[in-house]
Amino acid sequence: MAGEQGHSFAVNDGKIGRVLIAFMAVGFVALIAAGIAAAWVTGEMARHSQAVSHTYEVELSIAETRRLIEQGETTRRGFLLSPTTASFLDAYNTTAAALPVATKRLRQLTYDNPRQQVHLRTLDKHLRELLALRAESMELIVAGDIAEATERFREELSSVRLRQIRAVFDLMAREERNLLRTRDAQQERSISLFYTVLVVAGLLLGAVAIAALLVVVRYTGDLAQSREQLQQLNESLEAIVVDRTSDLSRANDEIQRFAYIVSHDLRSPLVNVMGFTAELEAATATLRELVERAQEEAPAILTEDAQLAAREDLPEAIGFIRTSTQKMDRLINAILALSRQGRRVLAPEPLDLMRMVGQIRDSMAHRLDETGASIDVVGSLPALVSDRVAIEQILSNLIENAVKYRHPDRAVEVQVRGAAAADRVWIEVSDNGRGIDPRDHERVFDLFRRSGTQDQPGEGIGLAHVRALAYRLGGTITLRSALGEGATFRLSLPPTLSLQEKS
Amino acid sequence: MNAHQSVSIVMIEDDEGHARLIEKNIRRAGIMNDIKHFLDGTSALDYLFNSPHGPMLNGPALVLLDLNLPDMSGTDILAKIKQSDGPVKRTPVVVLTTTDDSREIQRCYDLGANVYITKPVNYESFAQAIRQLGLFLSVIQVPDIEE
Repeated sequence: MAGEQGHSFAVNDGKIGRVLIAFMAVGFVALIAAGIAAAWVTGEMARHSQAVSHTYEVELSIAETRRLIEQGETTRRGFLLSPTTASFLDAYNTTAAALPVATKRLRQLTYDNPRQQVHLRTLDKHLRELLALRAESMELIVAGDIAEATERFREELSSVRLRQIRAVFDLMAREERNLLRTRDAQQERSISLFYTVLVVAGLLLGAVAIAALLVVVRYTGDLAQSREQLQQLNESLEAIVVDRTSDLSRANDEIQRFAYIVSHDLRSPLVNVMGFTAELEAATATLRELVERAQEEAPAILTEDAQLAAREDLPEAIGFIRTSTQKMDRLINAILALSRQGRRVLAPEPLDLMRMVGQIRDSMAHRLDETGASIDVVGSLPALVSDRVAIEQILSNLIENAVKYRHPDRAVEVQVRGAAAADRVWIEVSDNGRGIDPRDHERVFDLFRRSGTQDQPGEGIGLAHVRALAYRLGGTITLRSALGEGATFRLSLPPTLSLQEKS
Repeated sequence: MNAHQSVSIVMIEDDEGHARLIEKNIRRAGIMNDIKHFLDGTSALDYLFNSPHGPMLNGPALVLLDLNLPDMSGTDILAKIKQSDGPVKRTPVVVLTTTDDSREIQRCYDLGANVYITKPVNYESFAQAIRQLGLFLSVIQVPDIEE
């Protein structure tokens, strides 16, 4: 069962988090790319429509210039045929004045196109000649030289100039058309590029979403699985705890039984030792009487050794046997009492600690009066549900010790304080007594071990008993002390004693 | 104890020292009845139920019983005595043992023990207790075997 504790879980939260963040980052990048593409395409569209309108403007301008030239020609011809009609002249003058404006505008519009500029320069050259001829012929007509003017006109009609001008205009128009077509193609390319970007971004987003979904699904699955494992582990852990607890309580029971049996079986021979020692004592008394009578009536038969044996050796030996067996008896009784305490069934009940300390104080009133000792409760003591007898024994042992092991120079002051903290209740008994050497802090809780000057009666049982009781109540006892500076025993207990251990 | 009926005392005690001390102190109390001593339960039961001199077939008796025996528990012997048929059933049983466990005491009385005495470890108390038991034995009425 313990092998399962080394199990490693499949779910790695950090890794999953990183993967999800990576997916989200990819998704955002795709979105940003789509946004940039859209912005770029919009810009391209704007530029394209501008270019288209520019092209139309150029075409318009070309047509206008061409119209002015053709109109100028028409009006000149009209004027030649009917020199008296002033409206022809007026119309001619108007178109002649408008022509430079139109060509200037055309130049401006095609400023950025070197090929159109080349065409324009050819056009300019032809126009200059044409305009010069026109002006000449118009002057001739105004001067009345109709024949000369007609002659010039005819010459000019036969010349290729006008046709060349028209060809230049056609070239320019075609040029603009080509330009427009190129721009349309560009436009289409950028739009299709935009759609490609959009599709790629969409696919990427979809893929990311699916991948993230899969990861989350797998993660959830792993999570459920690991939760199941955890639950199983928990259950097996509980089983282990139950096992260990029963093992422990079995071991504890075993120790208790052992202590009980041992102390009982030790008592039996002790009865013999003590019994026959008493018999020996009685016999020694008889012997001593005999020795004394022999000394009076027949001193000759009495050796010094016999006298010594009856008067000193035997009583001394018997005395030592007696004190030793008595001590052994006390120790056995102590073990018996401890083991009996361990076998006692605990009965938790709400305890009034203030009253309990008061009762302990009352029971010691006589001793307190004699020595001028005081026992005070500082503040109030916490509520506690525990075994009355056990708590009483712990507190009275601690308080009695505090009174017993006093400092020779000062009156005993014992303070009891306590509080509930988190899930524990603590009670402290502190005194101003002789204190305990830190080296002995562990030792004083051991059975039959004592510390400091051995000037007080006792077997070294009290604190062992206190610690055994504290452990049984699910608590601990700790000690703070320095030699000559008093001691503080701190008892820490669960606020409510639960009887989970089946004793 | 009615001297003319010569009630015998059956002592079942595995510790010879204890047996000797008990016997000494009973004698000191002035009880001079015959004391039969057994160190284990099997031979004691055999004597009680089968011996021609035992209480089953012969005169009345009184049992002094220790609970800690090597071969069986004293309470088993007590149960066998009290649950038997015939005169042995009416034999008074004094449990004299080191065990002062309250459950054990209760169990012995439940099984029909007449007196339960814990052996005091202190010898003076022990001797005194046995002597008092002797006084008690001197006045106790034991059922007649013939009845």
